[in-house]
Amino acid sequence: MSAVDITITGMVFCFLLLAIPIFISYRLKLKLINPTLESTIRMTLQLIFVGFFLTFVFDLNSSLLNILWIIVMIIVASYTVLRDSELKQGSLLIPLAVSFALANIGILLYFNNFVIGLTDLFDARYLIPIAGMVIGNSLRANIVAMNDFCYQIQRDENRYLSSLSLGAEKYEALKPYMRRSLRNSLKPTIANMATVGIVYLPGMMTGQIIAGSSPLTAVEYQIAIMIAIYVSTVMNVVLGVLILMHQGFDRYGIFRKSMLKEA
Amino acid sequence: MEKLCVASEEQEILSKFNVSVSKGDKVLIKGRSGIGKTTLFRLILGFRLPVAGDIYFEGKKIDPQLAWYLRKKVTHISQNSDIGEGLVRDMIEEIFSYNANKGILDTKELHSLLSKLSLNKEVLDKRFENLSGGEKQRIAIIISMLTKKEIFLLDEVTSSLDKALKKTVVEMFLNNPSWTVLAISHDTEWERENVRIIDMERIQEDINVCS
Repeated sequence: MSAVDITITGMVFCFLLLAIPIFISYRLKLKLINPTLESTIRMTLQLIFVGFFLTFVFDLNSSLLNILWIIVMIIVASYTVLRDSELKQGSLLIPLAVSFALANIGILLYFNNFVIGLTDLFDARYLIPIAGMVIGNSLRANIVAMNDFCYQIQRDENRYLSSLSLGAEKYEALKPYMRRSLRNSLKPTIANMATVGIVYLPGMMTGQIIAGSSPLTAVEYQIAIMIAIYVSTVMNVVLGVLILMHQGFDRYGIFRKSMLKEA
Repeated sequence: MEKLCVASEEQEILSKFNVSVSKGDKVLIKGRSGIGKTTLFRLILGFRLPVAGDIYFEGKKIDPQLAWYLRKKVTHISQNSDIGEGLVRDMIEEIFSYNANKGILDTKELHSLLSKLSLNKEVLDKRFENLSGGEKQRIAIIISMLTKKEIFLLDEVTSSLDKALKKTVVEMFLNNPSWTVLAISHDTEWERENVRIIDMERIQEDINVCS
């Protein structure tokens, strides 16, 4: 059993649904018509491209190409995290990408080897979609953490400087800020785990069920992937904040405002 | 002999400013708001770098390494006593968990300082951010004294206290001969016989050349 292919007519009907948000935006003057159209078009083009690309990658199924693709995903993710945290790419992009790569590839290989028990750890059919879920989900948490950290350290700069003048090393003085950013950024992921299944059926599980897997298999995968996402999110967020703590301060321990996009 | 010497020429905020302070000195820094009193402290602590001019501590010019060393030798209370949040007890615990302060917290002294400054022990179980300005100042003063340092940079630490408490605090800081105290204040309680006054509005009259 396999999922029914959506026909062109079906897709047209799907796009027709967009008339509702467009109408609402028009009536309520939300000014969201252009962004809606733009985002829909971008999504469609990106997914069409990915569809063809993945078909190609899956057919070839070369370990090297698969890993390369994951590295591209990680670089784009690191770039996005910095961009959305209003930070300059300069001194942060490379350390961020390297640490994300180590953490995520580590988790993925562990997952494929011990959890799923694949013989080919680099099998595109598993590696790439799971990487997408893991990296995509930790991305949001990372943006929250980085934003929160930079915001706090600027708002409470006096407090940070006070800790320094009370004898704290940089890392000791930054600990409370790190704690708070980590908590704030991880809370949604934790809440997500607690409500899954009741409040929403995750995309992956839905996909597997539609594609013909038994709900029980889908659930097994879902449990495993939720844990993998949570663990990799924790690792990525901690690494992200540590990099910020390391690169974001000058030798006197003062926050480099020059890292932020336009003051 | 410790020597703290500031010679900074930060245009518009501080310029042609030259002062040196020796161990045990008590110095009051006066002058209207915005003249650069707080900036002076930030320069000393390396929280800000002078555009021109130099800062010396123990005879050496400030660089990042010396700034970190200096911060462990000096205790600084910033204006508004914005030193933390959460339970006062936890804040104190956190500060004395720093490597530089480990094991030096003297609970007996903490309690005696609390009562000296008319605070109940219950204040330890309140949240710092909910305390009044005067209570915050007193907690910050107590913490600074408990860190067992001998150089104090006090930025308006008595502004929200009543007359009697101002007097007590001033005396606590001035009566210890080995303490070096630099205080920024508008309070006249600080103007005592053994206190050198630096009026930043009339700075030209008080120039000590740094050696």
